[in-house]
Amino acid sequence: MLIWFLPVFLVFLMIGLPVFFALLAAPGILLWMNGQERDVALLYRNVYNGMDSFPLMAIPFFMLAGELMNRGGITERLVEFSQALMGHLRGGLAHVNILSSMLFAGLSGSAVADTSALGSMLIPAMEKQGYTRRFSAAITAASSVIGPIIPPSGIMIIYAYVMGESVAALFLAGIVPGILVGLSLMLMVKIMADRYDFPVASRKTTWREKGQASLKAFLPLMTPVIIMGGILGGIFTPTEAAAVAAAYGLLIGLFVMRTLRISDLGGIFQRSAATSAVVLLLVGAAMAFKTVVSLSHAPEILANIILGLSDNPLILLFLINILLFIVGMFLDAGPAIIILGPVLGPVFTDLGVDPIHFAMIMSVNLTVGLITPPMGLVLFVASSVSGERISTISRAILPFLAMEIIVIFLITYIPALSMTIPRLTGFAD
Amino acid sequence: MTRLLLSVLAPLEWLNRRLMPAGSVLAAILLALMVVIILAQVFFRYVLNAALPWPEEAARFLMLWMTGLAAPAIYRRGGFVAIDMLEVALPKRGAAVLQLVLLLISALVLAVALQFGWKHVNSGWLFNSASLRLPDLFGMGVIRVKLAWMYLSIFVGIVLLIMANIELILRSLITLLGGARELPLIQTLTVTETE
Repeated sequence: MLIWFLPVFLVFLMIGLPVFFALLAAPGILLWMNGQERDVALLYRNVYNGMDSFPLMAIPFFMLAGELMNRGGITERLVEFSQALMGHLRGGLAHVNILSSMLFAGLSGSAVADTSALGSMLIPAMEKQGYTRRFSAAITAASSVIGPIIPPSGIMIIYAYVMGESVAALFLAGIVPGILVGLSLMLMVKIMADRYDFPVASRKTTWREKGQASLKAFLPLMTPVIIMGGILGGIFTPTEAAAVAAAYGLLIGLFVMRTLRISDLGGIFQRSAATSAVVLLLVGAAMAFKTVVSLSHAPEILANIILGLSDNPLILLFLINILLFIVGMFLDAGPAIIILGPVLGPVFTDLGVDPIHFAMIMSVNLTVGLITPPMGLVLFVASSVSGERISTISRAILPFLAMEIIVIFLITYIPALSMTIPRLTGFAD
Repeated sequence: MTRLLLSVLAPLEWLNRRLMPAGSVLAAILLALMVVIILAQVFFRYVLNAALPWPEEAARFLMLWMTGLAAPAIYRRGGFVAIDMLEVALPKRGAAVLQLVLLLISALVLAVALQFGWKHVNSGWLFNSASLRLPDLFGMGVIRVKLAWMYLSIFVGIVLLIMANIELILRSLITLLGGARELPLIQTLTVTETE
C-alpha cells in the first residue's frame, strides 16, 4: 500500500509541484491514508534532522567560495593561462574554453557558475575570431559539465550525505572522470578543427610568457591544492576546507588580486545563503523521503523488478544509464540525485557495484543531463549569456554530447577510472 | 471581486516585500558568521592545538537559521526547483488554474508542517543544547541554550513560507480573474544553482 507513494510522487513532479513539496506531500498523504499519522510527525523531524548536519555545511561554504571566485579578474587569469598553453592550436579558443572549464572546476562546484563566468567572457571572444555564436555557446555549455565532476562538487557533497559515503572519497573519485570529459571534448574539437579549418587563437607562446601567465594564475590555482591537500593531509574536514576556500577567495579577491570590491560582498553573501538554503531544504525533505522509501520496502520491490529484467550487472548498468539520462533531461542533477540515490543505490551495491563507483556513474550521467533539453539548466544559462536560442545551441552541442555519452559508458564499464585514486589514497577499499 | 482580493493582497504584499529581503540580509550575515566560526575552529585545533567544544554546534545553529530565513524569499520569487513543462505546454488560462492547484497543494503541506513544527519546538524546551551556553552575565549561573531555539529556525521558516504562499495564492486568483496587470512586481535577485 505504502509503495503507492512513488507513483503519487511522480505525478506531483510531472504536474510541476516544486520538488521540495512533492517530496513531502506524496509520502505524507500515503502515511495518513495508511493510518500511520505518527509517522507523519516523523517526516517533519527527519526534515529538520536531515538539515542539521555538519558535513552539509560544505554546501554554503563552497557556494560562497565559488561566488567569490566567479569574478572577472580570476576568470580572466585562468583563461590567459589556458591560452598560453593551448592558444596556438587549431581551434585554439575552443580548447582554451575547455581547459578553463577544467581549471575553474577546481575552484567551484557548479556548472552554472562555470557557464556564466566563462561564457560571458569567451563567447564574445570566440565570435570575434570567426566561430559561430552557437558553436561558442555549445562548447561553453558542454565543458561546464566538468564543474561538478572535478572536486569540489556540490552534488557530490549531497550524494555523500544522503547515501552515507565519504565526501573525500567521492571528491577523489571525480578527478579522473572530470579530466576524461575534458579530454574527450578536446578530441572532438580537434576533429572538427581539422575538418572545418578553425582559427588558431594566438601564436605559440614562449616559455617566458607561459611562466608569466602561470604566475598570474598561481593564486587562484592554489585553491584546489589547498582544498584537496588539506583534506588528504588530515588537516581539515571537507566542511572546514570549504570555509578555508571561501576565506582564501575573499582574501585574494579583496587584497591581492583586487577583483572584488567591498560593495560586492553583500550581494555575494546573500546569493550564496539563498541558494544554499533552497538546497538544504531539499536535502532535508529528501532525508524524510528516504525514511518512507525504506518503510515502504521500495528498494526491495524495485530490486525485484530490476533483477527480473536481467541478472547481468553489465546489462543492468546499461539500462540504468538510460534511465538516468532520461531523468536528467527533466530534472537538475541535484534533485535527481536526492530522489534516485536512496532508491537505486542499494540495488546496485547489492549487485556488487562499489558505492563510490555507482556514485560516479550517477553524478556524471545526471550532470551531463544539465545540457540536454528540454530541462537543461546549463543550456538556459548558456542561452541567456550568449543570446542564442536554446534550440540552436542544443543542436550545436550534439557532437560534444556524443563524446560525453561515450565517457559515461567508459566510466560505467571501467571502474578503475573512478576507483584508482580513492584506493591509492586509502579512501576506498 | 478583483478589487477585494487586491485590497487583501496589499497589506500582505507590503509586509512580505519588507520581511523577505530582511530575511535574506540576515541570512547573509549568519553565513559570514559561520565562516568565521569554522575558521576559528580550524585555528584553535590545528594551530593552537586546543580544540573548542562549541563551534560545530554553533555553526549548525546558524546554518539552520540561515535556511529558515533565506528560503522564503526564494520561494516567493518562484525559485523552488520544479518541472514546469506542463505549465509551459498549457494554454494561458489552464496554466493559471494549474498554478493555483499547485499552490494549494503546497499550502496543505505547509499547514501540516506548521502543526508538527509547533509540537517540535515545544518539545525542544525540555532539552539543553550539548555545547552551547550563554556566558554568565547576570550572576544567574551559566545558562544552557535550549534546543527549542534551534528548532524554532525551521518553524519560523515555515511561517514565512506560509506568508509567501498566501500572497502567491492571492496573486494567482487575481491573475485568474484577469487582473494580472494590477499586480505589484516581485523584485528578483539572480541565483546560481548547486550544479
